[in-house]
Amino acid sequence: MYETNYHRASSVDEAAQLMGNAGEGKYLAGGMTLIATMKQRLAAPSDLIDLRHIGSMKGITVNGRNVTIGAGTSHYDVASSDALKAVCPALCSLASHIGDPHVRHMGTIGGSVANDDPAADYPSAVLALNMTVKTNKREIAADDFFVGMFETALEEGEIIVSFSFEAPDKAAYQKFPNPASRYAMAGVFVAKKGSDVRVAVTGAGSNGVFRHQGMEAALKAAWAPDALAAVSVDAGMMMADIHGNSDYRANLVKVMAKRAVAAAG
Amino acid sequence: MSYSISLTVNGDQRRVELDDPRVTLLDLLRERLDLTGTKKGCDRGQCGACTVLVDGRRVNSCLSLAVTLDGADITTIEGLADGDTLHPVQAAFIEHDGFQCGYCTPGQIMSAVGLISEGHAGEDPERVREGMSGNLCRCAAYHGITEAVIDATRRMAETSERKSA
Amino acid sequence: MNKMDTSFPTVINGPLHADRRHDSAHKHVAGSADYIDDMPEPSGMLHAAIGMTDRAHAIITSMDLSAVESAPGVVAVLTAKDFPVNDVSSAHKHDEPVLTDKLVEFHGQPAFVVIAETRAAARQAARRARIEYEDLPAILSVAEAKAAGGKFVTEPLTLKRGDADTALAQAPKRIKGQMEVGGQEHFYLEGHISIAIPGEDDEMTIWASTQHPSEIQHMVAHVLEVPSNAVTVFVRRMGGGFGGKETQGNQFAAIAAVAARKLKRAIKIRLDRDEDMTATGKRHDFVIDYDLGFDEDGRIHGVKAEFAARCGFSADLSGPVTDRALFHVDNAYFYPHVEVKSLPLKTNTVSNTAFRGFGGPQGCVGAERFMEEIAYALGKDPLDVRMANFYGEPGSDRVLTPYHQTVEDNIMPRLVAELAEKTDYRKRREEIIAFNKSSRVIRKGIALTPVKFGISFTMTAFNQAGALVHVYQDGSIHLNHGGTEMGQGLYTKVAQVIADCFQVDLDRVKITATTTGKVPNTSATAASSGTDLNGMAAYDAARQIKERLVAFAADKWKVPEADVEFLPNRVRVGTDIIPFPDFINQAYFARIQLSAAGFYKTPEIHWNRATGQGRPFYYFSYGASVSEVSVDTLTGEYIVNRADVLHDVGHSLNPAIDKGQVEGGFIQGMGWLTTEELWWDGKGRLRTHAPSTYKIPLASDKPEIFNVELAEWSVNKLPTIGRSKAVGEPPLVLPISVVEAISMAVASVADYRQCPRIDTPTTPERVLMAIERLKTA
Repeated sequence: MYETNYHRASSVDEAAQLMGNAGEGKYLAGGMTLIATMKQRLAAPSDLIDLRHIGSMKGITVNGRNVTIGAGTSHYDVASSDALKAVCPALCSLASHIGDPHVRHMGTIGGSVANDDPAADYPSAVLALNMTVKTNKREIAADDFFVGMFETALEEGEIIVSFSFEAPDKAAYQKFPNPASRYAMAGVFVAKKGSDVRVAVTGAGSNGVFRHQGMEAALKAAWAPDALAAVSVDAGMMMADIHGNSDYRANLVKVMAKRAVAAAG
Repeated sequence: MSYSISLTVNGDQRRVELDDPRVTLLDLLRERLDLTGTKKGCDRGQCGACTVLVDGRRVNSCLSLAVTLDGADITTIEGLADGDTLHPVQAAFIEHDGFQCGYCTPGQIMSAVGLISEGHAGEDPERVREGMSGNLCRCAAYHGITEAVIDATRRMAETSERKSA
Repeated sequence: MNKMDTSFPTVINGPLHADRRHDSAHKHVAGSADYIDDMPEPSGMLHAAIGMTDRAHAIITSMDLSAVESAPGVVAVLTAKDFPVNDVSSAHKHDEPVLTDKLVEFHGQPAFVVIAETRAAARQAARRARIEYEDLPAILSVAEAKAAGGKFVTEPLTLKRGDADTALAQAPKRIKGQMEVGGQEHFYLEGHISIAIPGEDDEMTIWASTQHPSEIQHMVAHVLEVPSNAVTVFVRRMGGGFGGKETQGNQFAAIAAVAARKLKRAIKIRLDRDEDMTATGKRHDFVIDYDLGFDEDGRIHGVKAEFAARCGFSADLSGPVTDRALFHVDNAYFYPHVEVKSLPLKTNTVSNTAFRGFGGPQGCVGAERFMEEIAYALGKDPLDVRMANFYGEPGSDRVLTPYHQTVEDNIMPRLVAELAEKTDYRKRREEIIAFNKSSRVIRKGIALTPVKFGISFTMTAFNQAGALVHVYQDGSIHLNHGGTEMGQGLYTKVAQVIADCFQVDLDRVKITATTTGKVPNTSATAASSGTDLNGMAAYDAARQIKERLVAFAADKWKVPEADVEFLPNRVRVGTDIIPFPDFINQAYFARIQLSAAGFYKTPEIHWNRATGQGRPFYYFSYGASVSEVSVDTLTGEYIVNRADVLHDVGHSLNPAIDKGQVEGGFIQGMGWLTTEELWWDGKGRLRTHAPSTYKIPLASDKPEIFNVELAEWSVNKLPTIGRSKAVGEPPLVLPISVVEAISMAVASVADYRQCPRIDTPTTPERVLMAIERLKTA
């Protein structure tokens, strides 16, 4: 039987150091994915490095339109932050529809983004809000962060510390949840800031979260749901699984995008 | 390697030695602390039968490693009643037949207590149903569960108004 | 005490026909109701875990368990060789080994068992096995089974009345079609569990989460090669059963018992959730092929249909389940000429089993599809087609079922008329049709569907029950019966029967765990029969004791027996009033036997499967529902805006409990028909083996408006307990109205000219596909 050692880190530096000394170490954030996969023996870390008690990784600060969210902030805290709601209610709404209430109390934004599940909600917000991902080593632009399914620009041992962005003028997230898991079968985050428009799609792409250039161009030309009518979503880029085929997902992406634009106002 | 943690469980200080950090809070409660009211339904955080309050927030105890909770305050179904007097949520579940087989009931009740203290659902049935959506009831006693949560919310609000008056 | 004491109540606390909370209510909310995994463990107890195969159909060429045996904490590893009687076939067909060591017949079939000091150690060790296979071609679906020639797990059945071929040929209109009806995972929140505790000599005590303690007893005796009298089975309560614990616990009890015998230690086996979902049977899915003949009024002239079921690798209960599907192919309708047959097909999937309704709901879904087809073909309101085909009044020439039983208690016309009236069905349908004309994206639908459900086990012998009642010297009463409690409130209802008989408050009656040691040779708590059978058996026991008490009182007080009366918490003998405990105490000193075993067998029923004729059902239960839905035609999503139910439980023994059963049954049935999709991949792996992939209803899936009423005017015409009717299964059939309302919303995109023919479950993807199909047609 394999052994697992547990370490409670009290600072980001200590966590990184612990990871450096570990064999097959894993950071433990909310644990909503990691603990479940450990139970199924899909993950067997030699060391668990607990990030949950690092105070500097928690909390939301809003300065004018500038928002910074600690990576260790729970979905529940994002969902119920009045300060955030005042400048970017779309992100609060997204967080309030992740999983179920229990998961929202434990799961964290940093854990979700670092894990980069292709059906997770947050990655779409990171891309569409053009967030800067701050780690213990550097700052990574949203467009450089997501590489593929469960694959990010994070290097071994690198820890996400916070996310920062400037609040958009308008934004909304709409998803078609898998009825059982509530992960997105198609989730679309739209954001408009000045003349810039970003549209990020999660849950549907066969290579993880992505920006949809066609929809962005159409919405730059005219910010209205109907502007998307002529845009085509390529079913060939969509994933197919037991929950829905690629044609169905392509259809959902477009419907969710229109709903998101309508919701953003 | 062994880990020593201390928890407050239903108001009692408990010191626990863990020889494996992978022990979940659920297994700790059921197998070490003899608190079997918290149930194991799916053991992977998807059914809510193992709901407890950790520092006042409802979580799936099957997805919480006990070792990470050193110093935490845990409330389980066994810690809800005040002696022989049931908690208002417990009483409301009886009154509104909020169960059939009873297996999910401790989790439903703990989740309802958490939901009410979060204060976002109030007495709106739709928000209550949404707020209780982390807890499966295969007997589908949802009608009674929803009624019970709304009724308890109302009663608890009245009680706290009376207290503050 | 000679005078009337005014402190006595005028009615007891907890009589028949009164709302009473569930007997374990307080324990449930306090977390102190013990399920088997909560019980204190016997000292030295070991834990078992199963080792599963990962092929759908294969020969095991080698099995290397050395790494399992050497894993930390492992005490023993058992294989088929450790089971001299390697057989837990409840159908007595010897087609279900406890463990397989040669032929693998479904993905996940258990091949070995690990016994270890802890459950975690056993489970971790089980993953270390190395099993080599030689693959065989696997048959996974009904279509594949039929294409391969259709091997059966058990004998098929044909029901025939009249001349269907001629009626179809001569009918003014004719439609042929096909429908797929999906299966369903039970997802009882408490998974399968057994504890076996070895005793002296050949004795074995079993605690099992089972609906059928007697069968567990027989199976354990069978595999241990001991007589039944050596095995005692207990169950106080289950965390849900729904049919999934009728036969499916046999294997695990057998494993625990054999390991306990071998190691002389107590053994607990509790399946993990995905093991439980993978290795235990589910509701049968069916493919229904139908051929309907009817006239311009929508009246059926003839029906031919074939109900092909995916039964899995063994017979289990597939025979009676597919039979019951045929018994409900008429639902509430008279078919002048009919010929229906079942195809219980063998597949390389887990063996499907009982699930609330037991094939009946699938039969009803077929019948309702027939009505829908006819309605769309004729451009009629489906309700009119239904009403045109209802069974007639007793004495009319439209009362004979396909199995030649006369429907003598038909209340459907009244019940449906009341529901339609109460819910404004006609008006709302008109409004919805108007709404759909002008609504681009959202379309609505409404439907009223009925259910008529046959009550009794179709195996006549199973319709018997026993109960044991003791009255102690202090007047307290001990009640035991053969039924099991899984949340349906059976214990409470039977206790009400006893309280009512003796006219004592309900809290004077102690309800005790079901055990084969107190009441032998019981039937499964199934077929909705729990209260009908056990309530009557308990009544019989109480009757015997009361007769002795009356004779005693008449003799002692020198009054006629008619002058002895059981009043609330007291007994009147002539003009004397004696508190119940005092009366009992006096009876004890007069050496009156204060204990009795009661027995009941359902009268009048008989069934000849060979001829397809008889009276398999004692009576029928009736109900109907109206559902209204909104469908998003861009995504296929839908919500149930409103559901109204009017349901017949005869003269309810406990309206609060019965209403709960109807509400829960409706939502569980809605889950089956709308969201619960079982998905096997090409290799025969069940991919929906957790709540993250298999969607059962949540609180947020309840209809926005949900009104459930019992038909209070209904009284069982036959002398059942308190003139009540069974309630467990029939409500599961009610939400067919949800499916049909969705169907109507979909049909609106092609102006209701076509029956959308949506298979179940009606997932959003299926709904959207149907919309696209109709738009392009």
